[in-house]
Amino acid sequence: MTQTISRRNLLSWLGRLLEERLLIAPTHTTGPILFQPVSKIEDIVLDFDNTALSAKEWFFPATETLFWAETTDGRTELVPATVEREAVVFGIRPCDAKGLALVDKAFLAEPADTLYQQHRDKAVLVGLSCRKASPQCFCTSMGTAPNDPTHVDILLTEVEEDYIVQIVTEKGKALLPDNLLLESKVVPPPPPSPPVVSAEGIEEVMRQAFDSPYWSRLADRCVHCNLCAYVCPTCYCFDIRDYESKGKIERVRSWESCQSPGFTRQAGGYNPRASKGARLRQRFYHKLLYFPEDFGAIACAGCGRCVQVCPVNIDIREVIADIQTIGGRNVP
Amino acid sequence: MELIAVEKPASYPDKERGERLNQQLRDKAKELLERGAVECVIGYERATDGSSARPFFVYQPEEVDRLIFDQTCTHNLVKYLLNKKDKTTAVVVKPCDSRALNLLLNEKQIQRDKVFIVGVVCPGIVETGWNQVSQTLQGRCQRCRQHTPLVYDFLVGEPPAEEAPPAEAYADVAEIEAKPLAERQTFWDEQSKRCIRCYACRQVCPGCYCSECFVEQLQPPWVGIKIAPPENNMWQTIRAFHLAGRCSGCNECERVCPMDIPLSLLNRKLEKEVWELFEFQAGLSAETVPPFATFKKEETLGIGE
Repeated sequence: MTQTISRRNLLSWLGRLLEERLLIAPTHTTGPILFQPVSKIEDIVLDFDNTALSAKEWFFPATETLFWAETTDGRTELVPATVEREAVVFGIRPCDAKGLALVDKAFLAEPADTLYQQHRDKAVLVGLSCRKASPQCFCTSMGTAPNDPTHVDILLTEVEEDYIVQIVTEKGKALLPDNLLLESKVVPPPPPSPPVVSAEGIEEVMRQAFDSPYWSRLADRCVHCNLCAYVCPTCYCFDIRDYESKGKIERVRSWESCQSPGFTRQAGGYNPRASKGARLRQRFYHKLLYFPEDFGAIACAGCGRCVQVCPVNIDIREVIADIQTIGGRNVP
Repeated sequence: MELIAVEKPASYPDKERGERLNQQLRDKAKELLERGAVECVIGYERATDGSSARPFFVYQPEEVDRLIFDQTCTHNLVKYLLNKKDKTTAVVVKPCDSRALNLLLNEKQIQRDKVFIVGVVCPGIVETGWNQVSQTLQGRCQRCRQHTPLVYDFLVGEPPAEEAPPAEAYADVAEIEAKPLAERQTFWDEQSKRCIRCYACRQVCPGCYCSECFVEQLQPPWVGIKIAPPENNMWQTIRAFHLAGRCSGCNECERVCPMDIPLSLLNRKLEKEVWELFEFQAGLSAETVPPFATFKKEETLGIGE
């Protein structure tokens, strides 16, 4: 037997959550569909491929204050930022949830990033299985699937007018009252099949390919914006700056990426990754070699956003396939 | 506009003619590489979605068969010449791209004798996205009446007997101008609050070539690092102003924006202002001195008299 929830009950449950918590869900904007705080249930978009930015932006926001420092009577006090509200992130895709699990490895390793930890602890993830695979997707090649419940608290899978409900964690169980659920004989639909790329053994070939001219050829085409990193559910680099106003200091962090020339520039002007080729290569090495070496997994969830938005079609699936072929050979 | 996914790439209405032109392009590229006239040919090839195009750098004569030109070839490849200053390079240019090339020649960013210009007679480019190709011409192409590049060393395709100069219709700009200030503010706040400052707009712009952009300068810090409305507004406004009288209208900035911010409205507002004040359009010639590179006494506009 499976458990289901009717669309009507789902919406009324979300309506109740909205009164108690911050509810973040896919919504329309004057531009693309994005995760945003919802003020009324009708604004939630249930039928979408995926959001333009991943749900990462609610756990590791584009810009966030880390602390304030204020000096009064010669005494300086540090006031750390805190996350107050309990939140529900509704409509997260399994790939984006996997992305968060990967960011966890970096941000929650001791010493944990306290703000990120608070965002994670205060939020419940209600996932939505994908009904179709987009041509840029490749989640099954990155250890997750369109119907993977592993990294969410509750997973919903749409079947006709209802949703199959999988309660995955205690946090999820506490959020969804039993009386809204129905026992059902409905059979879960087969998950869609996204395109596949073989990343097996990629670490070893990446080790061999470091000096390959392939990277500078690829960098010819790359325009070196930060787009791929900012839409990525697993990229987690940032910059820090202090803002000062009337003696009060605010320390802020904002997204930054390895593609910016300033990212690795050091005092005195020396830049260990001065060339565009070196910067582009870094992105792929971090994902496909350094992160696996440090944390035991490829830093990619296969969501395909970078493939979709790259202005010049730098397609990570093509890069993986190319490197598998090239390995240590000295060919472009 | 709604994009539709299609099985096959858009090409010239006449497929056979499209193939013939592709061959002309490939033959020229091959010849240039074989006789060592250029180190690299920058053109287009099919992207991994199988329907749109992507930039392609050809170094070996045996790679030329991947070169294509059709109505999906939207990128302005002139930007890449800024990375190839020390080598002689061939580049495929459409009429709009040729204006950007004139701009870079005029501003002494590239040397004419280091560039071999392969002009393509342009049928207009259609709206494309990843795995999406529409049958509709891009807005900029609907406004443009130019089919032949303004400057080239070799031309692929047959130019029409008569050409009209680039024309501009500013209906959408005028619509925004007509709104009250508060409404315009709301409109732009709504747009720019989505900006994530990925700088894709800057990175694809042939007019943006400062070795250090003002947003990245630390001394003084003109704009903070916050990805937030005031900083985003500042970034977008100054970006547009730095292109006043310089933007050649390739619209790459708007095309690549992941947040669908209508950047062309800002660019074309300034283009309109420059036209009304100076009767100048950027990139029509490599020789004409642009308005902001010179000064006439009568241009004081009553300030400081």
